Amino acid sequence: MRAPVITGASAVTALGRTLEETRAALAAGRSAIAPVEEDGAPKAADRSDAARIGPFTTEPELAKGKARRLDRASQYAVVAVRQVLADAGYAIAAREERTGILLGTGSAGAGPLTEFERQMAVESPDAASPFLFPNTVSNAPASQAAIEVGIKGPNVTITQKDPAVLNALFYGRMLLADGRADALFVGAADEWNLVYHRAYESVRATRAAGRPGFVLGEGAAVVFVEDEAAARARGARIDARVAGLASRGAAVSPQARRADPMVLASAIRDALAEAHLAPAGIGLIHLSRNGSPFTDAAEDAALLDVFGTRLPRTMAVKDSLGENPAIGAIQLALAVAELRANPGIGAILLDAFGAGGNVLAAVLSAP
Amino acid sequence: MDGRRVVVTGLGAVTSLGNDLASTWGGLVSGRSGIGPITLFDASGFRTQLAAEVKELPAGLDPRLTRRLSRTDVIGLTAAAEALADAGLDLDREDPSRIGVVLGAGVSGLLDSENYFRDLLARGARRARPTKVLNHPPDQTTDRIAERWGFLGPRSTITTACSSSATSLGYAADLIRHGFCDVVVTGGADTFARLTHGGFNALRSVDPEPCRPFDRRRKGLTIGEAAGLLVFEDEAHARRRGARLRGRFLGYGVTSDAHHMTQPEPTGEAGARTIAACLRASGLNADDVDYVNAHGTATPQNDSAETAALKRALGNRAREIPLSSIKSMLGHCLCAAGAIEAVSTVRTIETGLIPPTIRLEEPDPECDLDCVPNVVREARVKIALSNSFAFGGNSTVVAFGAA
Repeated sequence: MRAPVITGASAVTALGRTLEETRAALAAGRSAIAPVEEDGAPKAADRSDAARIGPFTTEPELAKGKARRLDRASQYAVVAVRQVLADAGYAIAAREERTGILLGTGSAGAGPLTEFERQMAVESPDAASPFLFPNTVSNAPASQAAIEVGIKGPNVTITQKDPAVLNALFYGRMLLADGRADALFVGAADEWNLVYHRAYESVRATRAAGRPGFVLGEGAAVVFVEDEAAARARGARIDARVAGLASRGAAVSPQARRADPMVLASAIRDALAEAHLAPAGIGLIHLSRNGSPFTDAAEDAALLDVFGTRLPRTMAVKDSLGENPAIGAIQLALAVAELRANPGIGAILLDAFGAGGNVLAAVLSAP
Repeated sequence: MDGRRVVVTGLGAVTSLGNDLASTWGGLVSGRSGIGPITLFDASGFRTQLAAEVKELPAGLDPRLTRRLSRTDVIGLTAAAEALADAGLDLDREDPSRIGVVLGAGVSGLLDSENYFRDLLARGARRARPTKVLNHPPDQTTDRIAERWGFLGPRSTITTACSSSATSLGYAADLIRHGFCDVVVTGGADTFARLTHGGFNALRSVDPEPCRPFDRRRKGLTIGEAAGLLVFEDEAHARRRGARLRGRFLGYGVTSDAHHMTQPEPTGEAGARTIAACLRASGLNADDVDYVNAHGTATPQNDSAETAALKRALGNRAREIPLSSIKSMLGHCLCAAGAIEAVSTVRTIETGLIPPTIRLEEPDPECDLDCVPNVVREARVKIALSNSFAFGGNSTVVAFGAA
């Protein structure tokens, strides 16, 4: 299949409201992970951390009046879409029907969903606000962005834990190859939510003092993916090429605390083979590492299997930004920024290891 | 990729009309309604106390497993088991890395999460029982199916509200056409929850009475529950193993209205673009289409906008093509609607029977196409479309053909 190219990247994160701010914060070693201070942890010992954005303004990308009608994940997504549109220098007018959007998510809609449920439970079904319900759907971020900027091509939202964004890229590559669009916004958006946090905390899935687990993060990131001929025809700057992608599954329970390193190793090998690269061609790996001992150990074993002792430089941003599909998209955006700033790095591997045996790997190469 | 064609070799269904394909299809062609009183929670205070619930949770799975699963997972796994058995796949002889799972989903384990949340509000985090909250993510059913049968190929879960499972069929077909899979288990499952019932209640989009698609007196939808599972297969692979072909997946269109989060684009321009995209991708023109399985939610806005879209996309031919809304019998099965309607569409092509739009007694002048009112119709159907339009303006149209 033709390798599409990436011509722009953006990110709205707990470390900055742009990709550049986020890169600078990560380079300075900053972390957004902090305790959730709100009352009500199941037990004091279970009190766990999160990586939250905190107060957020959508301006200048989106006027406050419009932003009020959007849930948080949609606000992050619209801002990231506006930013990437500028970064890619893409004029969408007259290209609306040839432009699509594919976003991943894990928790979009959590805010309006829990508030709507609260109103129904505490007040009455008739008291629940009709303005909340439309934003409870997982596709709100992508569709609000589509309405805001006028995207009329394919519009799809994928839920698949952390690999969702690489899956969106995997699907998007087929859509471009089939001529369903010339350009796609590909990314993910997620919102941190206290009720979800409490639920995961109650079953001891989140990381707390002395207990491994995940740290919930939030944000949005989007890359602009184009058919190469279309990108060249409009004179776009090409930052990266989607050189290899692989999608695989392992047959394990979504709640099993185990992972098969060989599934990830074979996904990485498939992605490298598609990219016509030997392991030595990879200059940087964005790790899936999230602090869960069983997936971290499986990832280490997979990388050892593929790279032996010559492991390239690695980056583990979940240590600073937490995790969920949005963080996977932030890794993708960071990889694009890195290749733009430093094409000599050659190629970057991203691997994503989701619970339930969801495994994807991608190789981005310098153009 | 050229030359790899997608056939349907297995079907499975769990609906308000029955817990398998035969009882569901039998109900549909008899014009039977699955709509009845809500039993899953106290529905007093809502505009309607009616829904098309699955009547008895299917009991075919291991009870130890059923206790841990969400209602959505139970009906999804049950319909998947039926579809796989129907396809006659000998999984011992298949390469599991060539079998994918792509479903549409949304509600998933939400009903259990709602119970936790109500407990949390009433008793605080220290005492709330988080029973089954880990079943909340919509991609759970996809993972459960892969786990149960040991499938190791690509998987995906599409979450675009009411077009989720229609789009999942497109993604599944693309995995086969592009050579990533030989077989994909696709479709979707969705069940009832307070959120969806209350949400459409708040938007005043539920009919207090059972829904009446295309009728002048329609007031909105009735929510339903369903699992519709299909086995898609590379045609050469299916022929090699001597499989019975139930039909072909010819193609799909997926587009964005870019209009409004909850309102359909009223002139039909947006819906027509999706239909046109489907015809183009499938290599069809309007004259080829013999039947349309309508989105037909019975909201005042959808049915007139959908009629307008069909007229724009199919021209004069639109008036000659029968269309019907099985939501009149199964309710609106939300994220599983596209899947169960695809199952029904394949059966229509196989049998030449078009399930009717029931309760259509006073046709709306704005919905003036041939909506197959109340009584099943026999017709030669070689090629059919199925429409799915969702919140967010996420529109998908799929095309099936005879084997």
